Amino acid sequence: MIFKTAWKNVWRNRVRSLVVITSVTVGIFAGVFAVAFMNGMIAQRFDAAIDEEISHIQITGKDYILNNDPGIFMTPGDGIVNFVTSIPGVNKIVVRKIITGMAGTATKSAGVQIIGIDPGREKEIFKLYKAVIPGTGDYFEKESKYDLALIGQDLAKELNIIRFAIDSVVLLRLAEKEVPPEIIGKLKLLAGKRFPNEKKFTSLVTSVLSKRELQNYGQMIKQEAWSFRENSRITLTLLDRDNNQVSSVFRVGGIYDIKNTMYEQSQVFIRNEVLSRLTGINESSFHQIIIRINDIGESEKITNVIREKFPELDVKNWKELQPDLAMMTDYVHQIYGFFMAIILAALAFGIINTMLMVVLERTKELGMLTAIGMNKKKVFSMIMLESVFLSLTGGITGMLAGWLAIILTAKKGINFSQYAEGMEAFGYSAHIFPQISASFFVMVVILIIITGIASSVYPALKALKLDPAEAIRTE
Amino acid sequence: MKVLELKNVNKIYNGSEVHVHAVNSVSLEFKEAEFAAIVGPSGSGKTTLLNLIGGLDMPTSGEIIIDGTDLSELKSSQLIDFRMRNIGFVFQAYNLIPVLTARENVEFIMSLQKWSKKDRDERTFELLKAVGLADRANSRPSKLSGGQQQRVAVARALASRPKFVLADEPTANLDSKSATTLLEIMEKLNHEEKITFIFSTHDPRVVKMAHRVITLEDGSVVSDEIRE
Repeated sequence: MIFKTAWKNVWRNRVRSLVVITSVTVGIFAGVFAVAFMNGMIAQRFDAAIDEEISHIQITGKDYILNNDPGIFMTPGDGIVNFVTSIPGVNKIVVRKIITGMAGTATKSAGVQIIGIDPGREKEIFKLYKAVIPGTGDYFEKESKYDLALIGQDLAKELNIIRFAIDSVVLLRLAEKEVPPEIIGKLKLLAGKRFPNEKKFTSLVTSVLSKRELQNYGQMIKQEAWSFRENSRITLTLLDRDNNQVSSVFRVGGIYDIKNTMYEQSQVFIRNEVLSRLTGINESSFHQIIIRINDIGESEKITNVIREKFPELDVKNWKELQPDLAMMTDYVHQIYGFFMAIILAALAFGIINTMLMVVLERTKELGMLTAIGMNKKKVFSMIMLESVFLSLTGGITGMLAGWLAIILTAKKGINFSQYAEGMEAFGYSAHIFPQISASFFVMVVILIIITGIASSVYPALKALKLDPAEAIRTE
Repeated sequence: MKVLELKNVNKIYNGSEVHVHAVNSVSLEFKEAEFAAIVGPSGSGKTTLLNLIGGLDMPTSGEIIIDGTDLSELKSSQLIDFRMRNIGFVFQAYNLIPVLTARENVEFIMSLQKWSKKDRDERTFELLKAVGLADRANSRPSKLSGGQQQRVAVARALASRPKFVLADEPTANLDSKSATTLLEIMEKLNHEEKITFIFSTHDPRVVKMAHRVITLEDGSVVSDEIRE
């Protein structure tokens, strides 16, 4: 009966209750969607880091990464690969040669890590092969008489391999995408010009278009004007095993895009046998072992097993390789909980105010209830339930709205391409797919109930202080 | 059988400048199934006396003993529970719970006492039938007339079979016809349920129907007339 009465009391003043419920709905919706958005970003970053960049565990010779000495390599005879393969929970391993060097074209150069890989084995661990930009080549699929290099999009931009140009084809494609004719007219002024880099292109486009036009169509124009210089060649310069400088010309066999500027600028992939030939290091020798395990939760345990067996090696799991990511994934639920708690704390003041009005308006009724024998515990429970029902109704509506918004945006994602440069600099994709787990909703429900209870305490205590004889006389 | 006894009860309100002796050395006894009216001019202490009897207020001195229990010996929480089990209240302004139907209002007190659903339903139906509102069981108070609301209040007061019912000016807000109907119903229930009714009233119709009339003046009992 207390439940029923409390629920009916919520709807006694519909307008007032709806105002509170709406504010809770909006707050929870905003919180849920913002968390789903952040969660999507972090999950995408996590997947990209594991699947495209670092995998679960990496082994290198002691201080190899620090010294960049090509002579610090491992061989099959060391028994490391055999040992690692025999550890229960290890799924796949792949070995790499890594040499620090320079990548250059006739006009530009950049410091890079040249990674010698076995493309077939790499595919079993990394999804980098899926990140090759269509039209720029492939992941060492086709045989070539030239030595091929797979480079990142940002390195390609830096080396002027990616250029920007506006020609009749680009203008036609923009017209097909319903870019207004006046903008196309302005772009015609730039037709026939080639821009060696993004910066120069952006600066000229900015000079002919208004701020609003740039906001609405700038990214689309950049995407269409993007062009790849086919059969581009780069020179890779590196030190061989005897510290002699060697150089070789490579054809760009493909350009990958993993939405991580730093990685794309620095990681160049070539075939293992080519790097062996250039460095004089045996084909079967390697600088790094990369391990994929079945359960990521066991990464620390397996890392320790390897460390104990080979204390002379540098063994690092993904948490040690990317501590920022590890911190985010470890504390993500606490962060989300804290975020929602702040929103609910703000909403609680509105609920407290409403419940105080409720107690004030119902002084006579509450006095009557105490008079006829409703004890303090039950009066407290009734006020508390009304507050919880108010919060929960708004909360559930907000969660449903949030869930619906997540469903609607999760498939196609939300594209913040205008901020892509900044986001990719930190390794985050600008195309975000919001996602959230069911356990988050459970946590939110618990937080809402706590808020409802906490918001009711002061008004309920006020109700308990009422003198029934006096309250009944109240007009 | 004695259900209620007041022994030399006094209630003094201490204001900053004036002390009001609202109830002055009142000693009374009420037996089972009495139908008693407390009358007197405004400010004579009727409502204060009713509040003291109902345990809503505590006397400055004296004892109020209900069915052998001295109210002053009960803690606040025990007093609330005691009221629930032993005293029924009918208020001048009906004071029904507006969001509940007539049936739910009557059921409320039984539900607080954790009666079974079956017993609650039976008793509610019995009482609503007795007050002539069985057909309005599912109406909310706002859909009932003042007289009907007060009849529901009487049914609620009797729901848990209290030792006695206290009614503070129960007919004050009712028209003549509704007041007469209500009084007839209360007299019938007093007879059938053997429950003591104590009214505070100005209404001559109530006084006329009462079996006992206690007159208060300045907080003191000036007459206590028992009629046959």
